[in-house]
Amino acid sequence: MASMQTGTHAGGRSSDALVRFTQVKKSYDGIHYVVKDLNLDVAKGEFLTMLGPSGSGKTTTLMMLGGFERPTLGQIMLDGKPVERLPPEKRNIGFVFQNYALFPHMTVAENVGFPLRYRGIKGEAAREKVARALGRVSLEAMGDRRPAQLSGGQQQRVALARALVFEPSLVLMDEPLGALDKQLRERMQIEIKHLQTSLGITMVYVTHDQSEALTMSDRIAVFHDGRIQQLADPKTLYNAPENRFVAGFIGENNTMPCTLVGHENGLAVVRMADGSILKSAGAAQASAGGDLSLSVRPENIAQADGQPAPGTNLFSGTVTEVFFLGDHLRLSVTAFAGQAVTARIPVSAARGFKPGETVHLSCNAADCRLLEG
Amino acid sequence: MQRTTQPVDIERIQTFMAVRRAARPARRAAFSLALPLVAFLLVAFVAPILYLLVTAVDNPETQSVLPRTLAALEGWDGTSTPDEPVFAALAADLKQAKEDSTAALVGKRLNYEIPGMRSKMLAASRMAAGLETGPYREKFLEQGGIWADPATWAVIQRNGAGLTPYYLMTAVDLKQAPTGGIERVAPDQAIFLPVLGRTLLVAGMVTALTLILGYPVAYVLTIAPKTIAAVMMLMVLLPLWTSLLVRTTAWVVLLQSDGVINSVLMALHLTTEKIQLIFTRVGTVTAMTHIQLPFTILPIYSVMRAIQPTQLRAARSLGAGPTSAFWRIYAPQTLPGVVAGCLMTFILSLGYYITPALVGGPQDQMVSNFIAVYINRDLNWGLAAALGVVLLLVTLAIYGLFLRLVGADKIKLG
Amino acid sequence: MWLPSYATPSERLSRILVVGFAVAVLLFLIAPLFIIVPLSFSKDPFFTLPVREYSLRWYEDLFGNPRWFNAMVNSAVAAVLTTILATTLGTLAALGIARPDFPYRRAIMALLISPMIVPIVIVAVGSYLFFGQFGLTNTRAGLVFAHTALATPFVVITVTATLSTYDTNLTRAAHSLGASGLSAFFRVTLPNILPGMVSGAIFAFATSFDEVVVALFLTAAEQRTLPVQMFSGIRDQINPTIMAAATMLLTLSILLFVALALLTRKKTR
Repeated sequence: MASMQTGTHAGGRSSDALVRFTQVKKSYDGIHYVVKDLNLDVAKGEFLTMLGPSGSGKTTTLMMLGGFERPTLGQIMLDGKPVERLPPEKRNIGFVFQNYALFPHMTVAENVGFPLRYRGIKGEAAREKVARALGRVSLEAMGDRRPAQLSGGQQQRVALARALVFEPSLVLMDEPLGALDKQLRERMQIEIKHLQTSLGITMVYVTHDQSEALTMSDRIAVFHDGRIQQLADPKTLYNAPENRFVAGFIGENNTMPCTLVGHENGLAVVRMADGSILKSAGAAQASAGGDLSLSVRPENIAQADGQPAPGTNLFSGTVTEVFFLGDHLRLSVTAFAGQAVTARIPVSAARGFKPGETVHLSCNAADCRLLEG
Repeated sequence: MQRTTQPVDIERIQTFMAVRRAARPARRAAFSLALPLVAFLLVAFVAPILYLLVTAVDNPETQSVLPRTLAALEGWDGTSTPDEPVFAALAADLKQAKEDSTAALVGKRLNYEIPGMRSKMLAASRMAAGLETGPYREKFLEQGGIWADPATWAVIQRNGAGLTPYYLMTAVDLKQAPTGGIERVAPDQAIFLPVLGRTLLVAGMVTALTLILGYPVAYVLTIAPKTIAAVMMLMVLLPLWTSLLVRTTAWVVLLQSDGVINSVLMALHLTTEKIQLIFTRVGTVTAMTHIQLPFTILPIYSVMRAIQPTQLRAARSLGAGPTSAFWRIYAPQTLPGVVAGCLMTFILSLGYYITPALVGGPQDQMVSNFIAVYINRDLNWGLAAALGVVLLLVTLAIYGLFLRLVGADKIKLG
Repeated sequence: MWLPSYATPSERLSRILVVGFAVAVLLFLIAPLFIIVPLSFSKDPFFTLPVREYSLRWYEDLFGNPRWFNAMVNSAVAAVLTTILATTLGTLAALGIARPDFPYRRAIMALLISPMIVPIVIVAVGSYLFFGQFGLTNTRAGLVFAHTALATPFVVITVTATLSTYDTNLTRAAHSLGASGLSAFFRVTLPNILPGMVSGAIFAFATSFDEVVVALFLTAAEQRTLPVQMFSGIRDQINPTIMAAATMLLTLSILLFVALALLTRKKTR
């Protein structure tokens, strides 16, 4: 778990954290832990995404923060106060549920006005707030409709308006865009991000869609097997995955087994399965002899021609398949004695490849990562 | 403008007709599968009910037994005792009636409206059989003042029609006034509206009780862990499966004065005297509530099960406490199930016969029981049928409401 | 499951009360059914608990007395005939209703369900008066007709429910593979809707076997069914043979219920 506290701009235990998980564990049966030893700070005004496959513990974590699950062990602080025993209605957190959970027997305006009733806001003041909240999501004219009369995207906005109308400082979202089609989803991502920055809300967002996470987040916590695998801003996460899981889960990656031979100019020198020697960055903590993988993204592999620049790895392989994908070619190659390697070559830079022929490829050592396991 | 829209309209109509035409073979094929059952139900179910409706207004007795009298009465002024020709016709009709033994038939029919008419009619027919020549008027008037009363003749004349509103009016405690208008019967003679009111009241009580008892059961069924919920469901469904008669028998045994409930109460020294439970309203409503509970529980349960758990979570996250979240968010969403279950139980409770007959006292008999009594004991089919019509109309009105609010395709079993 | 983990103490308390209340209601539902079982094995001719001495004398009466025995046979015959007729007619109708082109669906469905709704006395009296015109009162045919009318809604409902989950592409696939209409029905559709049909048949059997009121009006001593025999027994002088008969009916209900439960479980598996 050392990874968690490193390489993050808001990491460590800063004092301006709005949410703080301290050694939180959650188990339903007392044997298996869904969340194992979670330590996480969410800074004020931050958009933090919890990303991971289903069953990774991200939703349980969100539910604990929302008050719908109680941690088995550990502490959750909200604005400096412990809240593990506080029921959800006392937390003043906006929550947008998967499938929205709009109340079908109420109109849109009644849905949005619902939280105001419990905050003593009545009459004209309430009507004004509802109108403003609906205006914010461009649904001014839909107040009298029932949720069932709205499209999926409109229902999504109502759920958003309802969670924002009482001006909570923290808003949680549980896969809120999962039910929408791709285009709508991309538009809503931008809208939600705009709302979050313009209102200065702290947002904790759960998704299993990595592109959604990369688009919207200030920081992403990658969950797997009840633990945070890496907590970092999108760029760091993409370019410098810290372990095999993150490397494989975010974007596409070639991970190839290798052994560490030594160090040279701050780069690691590794031997591949066929005996060829490559160089790689990011080997500070790697020790010689252990099981290692060399990881490199397909778009960082290029066709080798002319004089290679220093620090460039060269290797060759046999083409097995070629796919045309519009702006680039997708090349499947067998290299390093049976290892499948995928490369994305821009069409402009590509020549005709034929299955069976031998190609020479290159990748910059700075784009390679050395991962444990 | 019109010239341009017209061809479009014709084209649309033609398209519409073509679509209908094209759909017809498929519609026919689909319908032909349901046809045997529809035809069977028309013969074995709808026809008997229609026949019941006809019986409620059918009035053949006077017409068939006293045809000559009715013809002679055509010129009658309606206010005085009729003249000799009418009595002569009556004598001829009764002579014939004596031979056919139909005097009792018409006597019984007229007796509904003129108390004592049955015996007068039989006596008159015996007398008429012995008379060879007139004048008849004097002889009949000697038999009793009833023959001099214009009201008697008015009733006979009125019943000359083949159809009568008499049974239907009686079934709702109305009667024909001597002046020809319709009026309520004297309050102390009103029987059937109070019975209908009692039927509605008992059905309402049973419905309310099943809702109060059943709603929490339906709720617990949705929150209980799977295996426990399955056992609970079994406890709801098994009574539904058990014969109505068996359940009623069980209540007879429980409620009897020497029965199980009394012996338990005595053994626990909660009472020293036996409590009258059987043949009481309390006993009837208890037994009916027991029998109807599953019918109320199941529709409510199926609606509750469909309510997403996130609904309550959303309410809580927005600031509602547990009580408020339940009443404002959960309960309103269960309303369709409550309506379906309650209407179903109310409809079925209206038609109860066995349970009031075995567990209820004289004051707990429902419309159904009166219908059975008029068929079996009094042989007054017209009145039984008329009561049936009233019960059917009330039931169908509520069934109509059920179809509007719930729909026939929403009825599920188990 | 009982409680969300965020429940407040007052919520916990109210939940305990609700569950306790529900359990009490469930006991109220189930207990009266089983009160008759021990009484049917009592040696005494009256109904007190606990039973002082056990015997089988009322069962001997039930099976030995020709009146009771004939009543059981009559009930069984009428129920079997009703089941066959109602299942055939109801299944055909459900197959029609399930088609998208079915005309006047709501109205016809309302008609087909109405035997469940119309007060039983009205059906009984109407049949009594109407069937009398054709000499069908006091015959087994008349009883079976009336019972079939009462039983068909159950078959229509169960088969329609099964058909709503039936994938019509199965029939299309059968046709595309060369099966004719009838052969596709018997080889593909029928095996798939069979659980619904059998459930409907069980309901139909139970409807007829348990029915009292119509049988009361439409039968004479000769066709007298078991429920009618019990009903007149309770009315006149309640006697423990009725308890034995009730126990038998209860056992039959449980058996049918278990059969149905196994059937639906297989269906969902």
